[in-house]
Amino acid sequence: MKRLMAVLVVAGSCCAQNLADVVKQGEQIFAKSCATGYCHGVRGASSGAPRLAGRGFDQAYIATVVSRGVPDTGMAAFAGRLSRPALVAVVAYVATLNGITNPAIGAGEVASAVLPGPALTGDAARGAELFKEAVRGFGRCSTCHEVDGFGISVAAPIARVPASAAALKALATPSVKTGSMDGESMPVLVLSEGKQGAVFYDLTSAPPVERNTPPGSVKFADSSAWRHSSVIGAYNDSELAAILTYLRAVITP
Amino acid sequence: MIVRMRFSLILLTISSALAQDAGATRADWAHYGGTQFSWRYSALDQINATNVKALTPAWMFQTGDYAENLQATPIVADGVMYLITARARVFALDAASGREIWRYQYPELPRNIPGFIGSRGLAVSDGKVFFGTKDDYMIALDQKTGRQLWKVNVDDARQCGCNITAAPLVVKDKVIVGGTGGDGAHRGYITAFYTKNGRLAWRWYVIPGPGEKGNETWKGDSWKFGGGAPWLTGSYDPALNLLYWGTGNAAADFYDAERVPTGADKSKDVNLYTASVVALDADTGKLRWHHQEVPDDLWDYDSAYEVLLMDREIRGRMRQVLVHMNKSGLTSVLDRVTGEFLGAFSVPEVRTWIAGVTEDGKLVGRNEPQLGKTTTICPSAAGAKSWNSMAYSPRTGLLYVPVNELCNDITPNNRAPEEGRNYMNGEFPVKLAAGRTTYSHVDAWDPVTGKRAWSVAYKYVLLASMLATAGDLVFTGNPEGEFFALDAKSGNRLWSYQTGAGHRGSAVSYAVNGRQFIATPTGWHSSVVGAAAAALFPDQDWRLGSTLVVFALPEASR
Repeated sequence: MKRLMAVLVVAGSCCAQNLADVVKQGEQIFAKSCATGYCHGVRGASSGAPRLAGRGFDQAYIATVVSRGVPDTGMAAFAGRLSRPALVAVVAYVATLNGITNPAIGAGEVASAVLPGPALTGDAARGAELFKEAVRGFGRCSTCHEVDGFGISVAAPIARVPASAAALKALATPSVKTGSMDGESMPVLVLSEGKQGAVFYDLTSAPPVERNTPPGSVKFADSSAWRHSSVIGAYNDSELAAILTYLRAVITP
Repeated sequence: MIVRMRFSLILLTISSALAQDAGATRADWAHYGGTQFSWRYSALDQINATNVKALTPAWMFQTGDYAENLQATPIVADGVMYLITARARVFALDAASGREIWRYQYPELPRNIPGFIGSRGLAVSDGKVFFGTKDDYMIALDQKTGRQLWKVNVDDARQCGCNITAAPLVVKDKVIVGGTGGDGAHRGYITAFYTKNGRLAWRWYVIPGPGEKGNETWKGDSWKFGGGAPWLTGSYDPALNLLYWGTGNAAADFYDAERVPTGADKSKDVNLYTASVVALDADTGKLRWHHQEVPDDLWDYDSAYEVLLMDREIRGRMRQVLVHMNKSGLTSVLDRVTGEFLGAFSVPEVRTWIAGVTEDGKLVGRNEPQLGKTTTICPSAAGAKSWNSMAYSPRTGLLYVPVNELCNDITPNNRAPEEGRNYMNGEFPVKLAAGRTTYSHVDAWDPVTGKRAWSVAYKYVLLASMLATAGDLVFTGNPEGEFFALDAKSGNRLWSYQTGAGHRGSAVSYAVNGRQFIATPTGWHSSVVGAAAAALFPDQDWRLGSTLVVFALPEASR
């Protein structure tokens, strides 16, 4: 929250000439990427995806959605895909579509408010790399967690970051249940259960498998022996500490 | 006399059918390559050189998905056809009538998933339909209903810049698939999942990690982003329990200073196991042997193409061989038990990248692109043959290959890698080879002698797969929309039909209730090689589309 506040604080602090240029640049980027196809349409008037003009959005909200995306929708996180100045420009342009005549364009301030990555230093920067390091294959955090536009959102967004590697290993995960099917029991994350059957992630091995089963074929019981310690063996404690530092830097409680 | 001739013909047919049983399809077209020997050859002969002129459309199916046109190989099992479109709309159709049995639609993807939309096919086995997606999921559907059974993520497409466009290969209890990304800063792999529940069975990285044999063929950390993506579908020999797969080019494509160890001997393996054919244990994914076709691939000639398995007599001895072509058109014949190199031949008429190949398979006279210069290289990175497959007929013993005579002017750069982003490191505009007026030809090649039996020129490019049949016919299509049949023995054109849209897909043959059908996807390819090819002919209007057109002989004439 503190980071988002920074956007509001710097609003109005920049020079008018530069602002017009930045908004113009944002308009061009918007026309080329956001307005196209089945997305937000010319000047945010909608062409399938939600209308963005005249919605009363504030700039912090726009910045968050543009950079982090909206889970389970077509709205992707652009933090890793657009350059920082480009993101700032697009956010400023969409702000003008929402009646904000003088949006913040201080690249440093806006970027540090909403963008991960380049702003990170030291352990947090190292943790960001470790979180999704490709050489770890399915043993990396991003196999199950999506943070700042990278990773697979199997788990719900991380709300609280454990204090230490030891705390992470011991972390209670009440959403993980035990599923029983065909004489086999497995740790599961249930997505839905109803007359159509059940949909759940099978966490037996990484990567998790989203499985659809007919009604009555699987039984779920609360609690499971599953712990993070069984899936993070590819990392040592120092690496885990760096990852937690990273998560603390980018996740707002 | 006539009777005796017929009798001996039948005998001949029977003996060759026994020897080559595993490579030919019959009523079903069960796999991407026809059978898992990847011949794209049907033993059906109801439609033959004599009656093919009567071939006529039996039914058509409009998929309604015009994203990137219809490239996929349809699969036919027990009278049902399974077809996938570029955006992963999957259809089960009555293969005799085209009536829709069920349909499945993969959710529309966010527009920021990098890479190319497209699907080259699906696999059907174990009561399930399997396919990969642009955002790197493997999906299993119920074969009877189209209901989704499981879904598993293979990689984060936003990070790796890779997609799944290839048809998976099902071997015993596993579904096995490769991915794209070999032209990006990415490390390619083949992944196997259990068909039953989608759980990971094994993964084989094309590029060995530190401490693994082969890692020493990479400079520093370049192995991490060295490409090699095996982006098409492999083959399988059940008797040997070996998977055969072609791997992609090394990345960066046109610039090697960051990836080749100082002083490396390029007559030996460099940047393993890129631009290679590999044999993997189908149960474990462990490497059994490899043959690198292009050590230090500086031309984007990745070897990801289809692998044809056949038994042929070579120098007086019956051998279990595989035949494999890479983008350069250099075609290797290997002993598929041991990987021993048995011979090679080159199909394009214009070749400037090497002077030749030694008897033991070493490249001679490498003409490498140089930083700071522009070098004309033939054939082009678009391929002497593109990803579309060749076909093989055991009746003629010939391979049928669409060959393009393109070159490219390669100007390399030394840009640093960025994970998942393009890492080709060069400009390479494509053009017609000097001194030519025609851009392509359909060839018939004998893999044993390395000799061309016949060749038929075509004025534009050819980018559709070949289909060979026991009716001694060879089918393919061209960008102008013609789907045509050639005499397998002579190359003479026997029949042609204007389907209304260009051909970039893969035709198949199958039978329902004794009636033979020939089915071809239609619709020109609008990006990558299709776009590059179209740009060469600005006056041509090669039509997009997404229609499956199915031909048969008129009922009365059978």
